[in-house]
Amino acid sequence: MTGPVLLETRKLSNHFGSICTARDLDLSFEEGVLTSIIGPNGAGKSTLINLVTGHLPVQAGRVTFRGRDVTRLPVHQRVRLGICRSFQIVNVFPQLTVLQNVLIPTLARLGRTRRAFARVSAETQARQEAEAVLERVGLSAERDLAAAALSHGDKHLLEVGVALAARPTLLFLDEPTAGMNPLERSRLLESIRKLAAEGRTTFVVVEHDMDVVFSLSERVVVLHRGELLCDGSPERVRGDARVREVYLGEEVADLPGGSQPGKGP
Amino acid sequence: MGKKVSTAAWLLVAVALCLVPHVADRFVTYLSMRVMMLGIFALGYNLLLGRTGLLSFGHGAFYAAGAYGLGLFSLHVSPHPLLGIAVGVAAAALVALAVGFLSVRSSEVYFSMLTLAFGMMVFALVWNLREVTGGDDGLIGIARAPIRLGPARIPIAREGQYYYLVLSLFALAVWVAARVRASPFGLVLAGIRENPTRTEFAGIPVRSYRLAVFVLSGMFAGLSGALEVLLESGARPSMAHWTHSAEPILVSLLGGLHTLTGPLVGSLLFVAMREIIMRFTENWMLAFGVVLLVIILGFRGGVVGSLAEAMRRRQAARRAP
Repeated sequence: MTGPVLLETRKLSNHFGSICTARDLDLSFEEGVLTSIIGPNGAGKSTLINLVTGHLPVQAGRVTFRGRDVTRLPVHQRVRLGICRSFQIVNVFPQLTVLQNVLIPTLARLGRTRRAFARVSAETQARQEAEAVLERVGLSAERDLAAAALSHGDKHLLEVGVALAARPTLLFLDEPTAGMNPLERSRLLESIRKLAAEGRTTFVVVEHDMDVVFSLSERVVVLHRGELLCDGSPERVRGDARVREVYLGEEVADLPGGSQPGKGP
Repeated sequence: MGKKVSTAAWLLVAVALCLVPHVADRFVTYLSMRVMMLGIFALGYNLLLGRTGLLSFGHGAFYAAGAYGLGLFSLHVSPHPLLGIAVGVAAAALVALAVGFLSVRSSEVYFSMLTLAFGMMVFALVWNLREVTGGDDGLIGIARAPIRLGPARIPIAREGQYYYLVLSLFALAVWVAARVRASPFGLVLAGIRENPTRTEFAGIPVRSYRLAVFVLSGMFAGLSGALEVLLESGARPSMAHWTHSAEPILVSLLGGLHTLTGPLVGSLLFVAMREIIMRFTENWMLAFGVVLLVIILGFRGGVVGSLAEAMRRRQAARRAP
């Protein structure tokens, strides 16, 4: 189910001193294609997300979203257009409750945050939508806990929940399952799969776990030292000699069900 | 603490405040006004510090803008107190808008230093523009003219009368601060304090919200300054000095940063302690410093914060077998 191109980068480049973390990247992300970005440490996965979401200023190149140039657009305007992200290191509102954490992006999306004399408790629509997000990520029972009091895995779930609450068209998840136990991991992946199937949000996931990558995604982008190494279906990436050489090595060959790509464990 | 208990407490305080001029002597009435004015100042300041997590050293300037705004309007245009207060608050909002516009783009220490720098510039202006501000003499001889509302004419010349104007505006300030804290806007401010980056990724232009709350808290400072001029019949340049901006910080630390009542209790403690200590020693700042040290080290989260925490623990202990 390939839709129109959402986000496109043209000759996107970034350097930290002499280290190149993005070199002439030409990538496009189409609506409805669940994409994984993989690559060894320092490959520029997070940098790519930082550049397209506006977290880092673009040094060279162009980013367009639905044909509109967003290269210099501030973060909050990109979020309004529908580009959002989660963070690799949990980056939520620690002293606020779980519900308040998802309420902030929900209220922002509904355009209610300028209301200084209304009551949060009376924002029925926002509260309902925020609670629906918590249900999705499985945190309904924790809604009144401070985010800081959550377990590590739950914090990651909340991290994804806060990003989802902005109801993005294109959502970048930066290692969403890092540090999760297998149960939490499968729960999160299940909800990502479900949300992706609903078609409202297109997911681009940075992931280290190869099982996750090959079971989840329809397309895999491999980065290496800031350059695009390979881009295609999981089968193609798995069979690519250069990918095996620089990154995957035996991991791919050993994968269970290597002859049946696209099926998860 | 249940909702009923807190409503009852608020009502009790309101009744007590209404009775002060009738049951207490002039000095206590005067001090109560000082507490309420400091309370307004601290309440607004705390929307910035406690809520949004921004430390400003420029609020003395906004306080002075309110004071001199009312003073100059009263001396040159009209002595109408309500108009004067409105002009003072508007002047404070304008100065806060200018200072805030240039400061909110920086964060943390840089923000604080910029507000300090702009605050000192305002102080220098107030000090040097002798023809306008009276220089180090300040503005003197500002009378409390009666409030004319159509045919009605409410006198506020006597302290017992002026008290009720201060009380009304104090109540208004508490109401505004409470509403803002409970609003979506207030929740976003807490989000900015907790994590500005994430707030931006929630789709919120963080700078604009910082500027908005900066101006709002500047207006509280201006209101407080205007009321002081009416009480003391004059404006002093020291109002604009950056050390004056430290007063609401101390008050907030005393009472507690993260509650609505914290700055109010803090103002009461601050004025009471200053009055008591000043009777025994000239060096009241020294003794006050020691008390403050004890409270900051001993009462985490201020007096209100620690008391609330202690009560929560007691209730939890009672519930557990």
